[in-house]
Order: sequence, then structure tokens, then C-alpha cells
Amino acid sequence: MSAVFGRAALRQVAGARSFSSSPAPQATLRELEMRIKSVGNIGKITKSMKMVAASRLARAQNSMKYAKAYGAANNAVFEQSEAAKSEAKVEKILYIVTSSDRGLCGGIHSSVAKAAKKDIEQGEGVGKEVTIVALGDKPKQQLVRGSVGNDVALSFNQIGRAVPTFNDALAIADKIESEGINFDKIKVVYNKFVTVISYEAAFIEIYSNKALAASPSFAAYEVEGDELSGDLASFSMANAIYAGLVEGYASEISARRNAMENASKNAEEMISKLQMSFNRMRQAAITNELVDIITGASAL
Amino acid sequence: MSWRGTLTFNKYISIAARATRSALKEEQRAIADKRGTVTLKWQTWKEGKGTVAEWVVPPVEEAHK
Repeated sequence: MSAVFGRAALRQVAGARSFSSSPAPQATLRELEMRIKSVGNIGKITKSMKMVAASRLARAQNSMKYAKAYGAANNAVFEQSEAAKSEAKVEKILYIVTSSDRGLCGGIHSSVAKAAKKDIEQGEGVGKEVTIVALGDKPKQQLVRGSVGNDVALSFNQIGRAVPTFNDALAIADKIESEGINFDKIKVVYNKFVTVISYEAAFIEIYSNKALAASPSFAAYEVEGDELSGDLASFSMANAIYAGLVEGYASEISARRNAMENASKNAEEMISKLQMSFNRMRQAAITNELVDIITGASAL
Repeated sequence: MSWRGTLTFNKYISIAARATRSALKEEQRAIADKRGTVTLKWQTWKEGKGTVAEWVVPPVEEAHK
């Protein structure tokens, strides 16, 4: 009883200080009930999404383990031939931003998009000719609308539905080459799987055919003909894309699981709070009715 | 007749992979074929404007009975 009268009385007393143009409507029992129901439904959905993500995580982590082995083997050639100290000038950089199409996974997509933008505008991309290839609708949207929009050359979607296969990476690398994109260096931007609850944006660097050929220790490899180093560069690109896609997929699954877990927890909290105020209001209404009946009876 | 000049190295090895997959026995082949399907779509962009997205590998139309 005091809850209902108290609030209205307070507002009248403090009426002069009220800043809202229309007073806040008092939620009726009916409205509260509907809100509780809808929050409950949302909680069910987020809980089931969390379960799905948790079940996919194990497989994603397993694939990631093997994909990383590929990526590391790839890197061996670049390290051994010291391609980082190559005499070839790096003037054109290709950024391949890997993420996916779907949302509800926390800050996954903006993490890669931001890291790419930062490197382009303040890092290694300053003063160089930059091309961007976006893998996934979400990073594509962020990049095309941003300050680097004009550098986007290609984008792919239908990514992130299942564990990425090497065939996908081959198809992407093939399209990049056949579209005639020129580059001296490639940086694959992806989300590195740090732990089950955290990820961070990272880069994989791949050197072009030219850069590799001009590397100081490359001569140690006895290569017959130019074709082999060209093939190696193409294959390295596919390898790096594969590693980035798979690790990005694993990070995304774990991020989605965490996000849905938080959402479910918040939904539960909200339901208990709403339930409390619903009960209070119900009891207040009953008390009012009782008071009416009693005063009415005493008037007879 | 070489594949050089017409195909990229990646296209070449993906074709070789496909041939290898089709040489497998039925049971293993079913599992391997799932790894072989590419369901990507792509589009080119120029100055912030993109073309319509197209399939990288166009889906084969199912024959209607």
C-alpha cells in the first residue's frame, strides 16, 4: 500500500522539480507479467545458443591445433631465408581480414576490423599502397563504411557456418591471384585464440615471390627455376588464410559462448528483479482491496 | 601442355585434390566430399561500391523428376 501511495505522493510533492514532459506510466500488473514472460523466452534462446556454441567449441579447437601446425610449417621457409630482411622494397601491402557473417559473438568482428584499420593508418600501412580483402559480411560492413572503404577490393561471405576447410582457403587464394591483385607482402588479420575466455587480434605475415627471392638466406635453398618460388608463395598465401580462418572460427565460437552465457545470466537477474516487484505490486493491490472492503463494511 | 599460365598453383592443387577424393572408396569418399565442397560467395569492390555477390562454385541444379 505504501508503495503505490508513496510514489504518487512523492511525485506530487516534488512536482515542481519534475523534468519529464509526460509522467512515467506506472507499470500495471499485466505489463509486468508480459515483460517477465518475454525476458524468460529470451533467456531460453540465449541458453540454447550457449549450449550449441559450447558443443562446437571442442571440434573447433581440435581443427585449430592442426591448422596452426600448417601455419607454423609455412613460416619455416620465411624464417630460414630471413625474408623479413629482404632487400626487395615493400610498397604494396594486402590485408586479408578474416572473420565471419554472423553476430551475437561479442567484439570479434570489430576487433579484427579495428586492428586492420590501425595498422593501415598508423602502423606498417602508412605511405604504402594498401588493398583489403574482407572474409565475412561483418568485417566487410565495418571496413567499407570506414575511412579505408576505398581500399577494399574483394569480399567473400558464407563464411563461419562450419569449420573452414583448406579447400575454402584455396578458393579464396585462387580468386585473389586471378583478380590480379598486386602485393609485396600479405598480412592476414585474424583473432588469435588466447584462452577459452579471451582472444586478441593478430597478424600472419606472408612475403611475395619477389620478396622471397631477394631474401638474404634464400640462396641456401637450391631452387631450380623461378616457378617453384612462385608456387611456394601461392601455397603460403592459402596456408596463411586457412590458419587465420580456422583460429578465427575457434575464437568466434568461444566468444559466442561467453556472450550468450552473460546474456543468460543477465536475463535471469532481470527476471528475479521483475518477479520481486511483481509480487510487491500484487500484494499492494490485494491490501488496497482489503482496506476498501473493511472501510466500506465499517460505514454500514 | 602445362597448366602454367592458365591456372594458378592453388587452382591446380585443388583440382588434384578433387581427383584424389574421387578415387577413394565409397565410405571414405562420402566423408572426404564434405571437405571438398566450397560454398563461398564473392564480390568485387570499387571505391566503396560492390557488385552483386556470386557463388565461387555455382551450385549444381538438382535434376527434377
